[in-house]
Amino acid sequence: MKKIVLIIPFILTLIISSFLLFYLLQNKDPKKPPSALLNEDVPKIKIPDLFDEKKFLTNIEFNDKLILVNFFASWCAPCKVEHPLFFKIKKDHPNLFIIGVDYKDPKNDALDYLKKDGNPYDFVGYDKQGLIGLEFGVFGLPETFLINKKGKIIYKHLGPLDKKIIENDIYPLLN
Amino acid sequence: MIFIPYLTENFLKYFLFLLICFFIFLFSGSTNAYSEKDLKKISSKLRCMTCQNQSIYDSDADFSKDIKKIIVQKLESGHTEQEIIKFLVQRYGEYIVFEPQMNIKNYFLWFFPFVILAISLIFLIFRIKKN
Amino acid sequence: MISLVGFANLLFSFLIGLIIFFSYFFNNKNKISRTYYNLVFFKFFFIIVSFLTLIYAYVVSDFSNQNVFENSHSDKPILYKITGTWGNHEGSMLLWLLIMSSYTLFFTFNKNLKDNIKKLTITFQTSLFLLFAVFVILTSNPFLINSINFEEGMGLNPILQDPALAVHPPILYIGYVGFSLILSLALAGLTFKQIDYEWMNTAKKLTLFCWSMLTGGIALGSYWAYYELGWGGWWFWDPVENVSLMPWIAGLALVHSLMITKKEKLLIRWIVFLSILCFSLSIFGTFLVRSGILTSVHSFATDSARGIFILIIFLVSTGFSFILFIFKTDDSEEKLKLLFINKSTALVFNNIVMIIACLTILLGTIYPIVIEVITNKRISVGAPYFNSTALPILLPGFLLMSIAPALSWQNNKLPKYKSYIFVFIALSLLSFIIVYLNTFNVWGFIGISLGLIIIFSSLLSVYFNYKKFGLRNFISHNNALLAHIGVGILILGITTSSVYKSEFSETFMINEKKQINNYSYTLLKLETNQDSNFQELVAVFSLYKDNKKIAEIKPSKRYYNVSKMITTEAGIYHSWFQDFYVIIGNEKDKIWSVKIYQNPLVSLIWIGVIIMVLSGFLGIRKV
Repeated sequence: MKKIVLIIPFILTLIISSFLLFYLLQNKDPKKPPSALLNEDVPKIKIPDLFDEKKFLTNIEFNDKLILVNFFASWCAPCKVEHPLFFKIKKDHPNLFIIGVDYKDPKNDALDYLKKDGNPYDFVGYDKQGLIGLEFGVFGLPETFLINKKGKIIYKHLGPLDKKIIENDIYPLLN
Repeated sequence: MIFIPYLTENFLKYFLFLLICFFIFLFSGSTNAYSEKDLKKISSKLRCMTCQNQSIYDSDADFSKDIKKIIVQKLESGHTEQEIIKFLVQRYGEYIVFEPQMNIKNYFLWFFPFVILAISLIFLIFRIKKN
Repeated sequence: MISLVGFANLLFSFLIGLIIFFSYFFNNKNKISRTYYNLVFFKFFFIIVSFLTLIYAYVVSDFSNQNVFENSHSDKPILYKITGTWGNHEGSMLLWLLIMSSYTLFFTFNKNLKDNIKKLTITFQTSLFLLFAVFVILTSNPFLINSINFEEGMGLNPILQDPALAVHPPILYIGYVGFSLILSLALAGLTFKQIDYEWMNTAKKLTLFCWSMLTGGIALGSYWAYYELGWGGWWFWDPVENVSLMPWIAGLALVHSLMITKKEKLLIRWIVFLSILCFSLSIFGTFLVRSGILTSVHSFATDSARGIFILIIFLVSTGFSFILFIFKTDDSEEKLKLLFINKSTALVFNNIVMIIACLTILLGTIYPIVIEVITNKRISVGAPYFNSTALPILLPGFLLMSIAPALSWQNNKLPKYKSYIFVFIALSLLSFIIVYLNTFNVWGFIGISLGLIIIFSSLLSVYFNYKKFGLRNFISHNNALLAHIGVGILILGITTSSVYKSEFSETFMINEKKQINNYSYTLLKLETNQDSNFQELVAVFSLYKDNKKIAEIKPSKRYYNVSKMITTEAGIYHSWFQDFYVIIGNEKDKIWSVKIYQNPLVSLIWIGVIIMVLSGFLGIRKV
């Protein structure tokens, strides 16, 4: 009995160290918690079109399509850095429906921004109050979500995308 | 006797006016007072997602201000604390609440300390009894 | 040039460490030569020169050194240039190495232990030094040189330019790092199966010293958080705080376990286990903080490569120690005489309660990581968890503390137990009345009654000791009681300042007066101030009680030119019975929003801790 008890501290040390090692090797960022919506259905939303507020995008559009949702704003510097990459994504995957959601941004600023830097999105939504972002659990821009054909959120990225992330994390999910 | 309908008519109007004022007062003033303490209570339990380990109550970040607005809105439309927290957890994950929720994956966390304490004390009692 | 000198000395120290380590296997294990002592001295000498070189680089603002460039600025006051040396990751690790070597050197002056134990202890200690030295040289080198010539540094975080925070790391490290020597001593004792009277004595003094310093270091950190972070709180169950509390609790358990083994060799296995646990928790804590794995208010520049390195150091040293523990512990041991209730039982109970509290804090701190690895969901384990688990678990320990020093070893009789029962009942009632007259609160009642019971039971024991022994060996008989009184005072302070703290949000214009209970606050004026590297806007408040002026309170906002940060400084008036804590917020149309906290009896927290530390140091002397 005594000998068994003596082994416990050593075993615990091993177990705890392994967990910590796994965690470190996964390169998780403490500032970037995994999304609460992973593997959940897309929230019920109705997004007004930035260019015509009488038009809306609703969940019906989300059926049987692979969708990329990108929250951005004209005042967000990292968004400007990742912006050109969406053109490439669109070119590489023409069947991917890319939605941009302009988050808490004055409308004119957003329109100017897209005119100047180009519009890679298939649909641009206007989220003036941030309510759409709230449904997605957005708390800092930019944030990008990938929704599969069954309408489930399968991927989220906090912060600007780069070539490596797009190729290693997103493209594999598009097949 | 002719003036009775006149009096009652004005009296009724006056009374109705007072009644309306009373209800406005009742719902505007008291609803806000009700919310202030609850706002503090609820926002102290929530984490500011863009800060380093601060509560939404303590933080001045934009995110915290937004969440406080949402909490107030929901309190004013009659939601309970539980409902508000559940709403936020659905969107931001359990991470946003400082207290770990009581669900299956957290049972070990909550019960382990007391179970170990109980086991140790039982052993101690046995050893004492032996003497 | 300076950096080169510093690095060279670091390398020399490392090389000598290697020589010391390997020489153990080729020389007489039972005898220490003069040369050996000299080597230990030189290892210390080179590391202190290296450290002083780094300080010098900071003082002269040598921005060719990357560490100085990243963390300093010519406009910084000289005091903070010096303390900035350890206010960053690399510098603090160099300090860690220095303190480790200092302990080794200090240990060579021990005259009570036999040479074989001394030599093996020094060998273990040196191996730890080597592990950390490799870590510093490979991943955390403070002597790296910039490829570009920089004219000016990047300045230090203004929050770190503070006297309490400047002194906090060295004091903390003297505590944490000191546990390494206890670990080495334990491993040496295990190997030679020589955990005897001399071993116990040495361990006792060492543990008391390290633990006292650690208590002081943690208290300083708390005090800093209290006046700097602006929420009127001093403990947040922040991961970095938890990480310092764990070795403190383990150290306290060890102090108690060592104190009781005066002549008999009781609990040896447990003492060895605790000795290993203390430093393992220190390393583990360093890992959690430096790896960037946890979000905390108190963050360092972090790096997962460094994290992995420290984790490996942890695994190697802790794993090795626990393996040695399994194979070398003494099977023969005297059985403890456990009665209900004698001192041995109280001690065992105290250990159980403390170690479980420590494990709970450990569990709570790493649980989010475990859950995220398994389920890819992130949870928070914050203050509510620890307050509902660790705290209640400690409560029975606190209660027992009130009579434990008066218990007997041999029998289960407590002399004059009726007086103690009287104290218990009377003070519970008193506490109930106090709490009832203010706002009734369960925690308030528990905390105040516990605090009062511990204080007065201990005073009662002191009185009985005086009647029995007079003033002979006064400190020796009553030191534990003094420490417990300190704890009682601390508990009182913690309870009243958290449960009965009040918070007020007010707006002020100049010359406006606001009344809060029987105190009034008036915003007298706004002053501007220019200091060496910041501009300050001070709001001067006068505090009156019943028309008599008590104090001026001066909260402020500072704008630091270099880092372009704005910090809010609380204005605090500490009175014995209450702290008046004022923070200025935003201003609109000349109306300032102000937060006022009135925290009752906060002073008791610091007084309690000072008594505990004092008692710790007294304990070393009398041993």
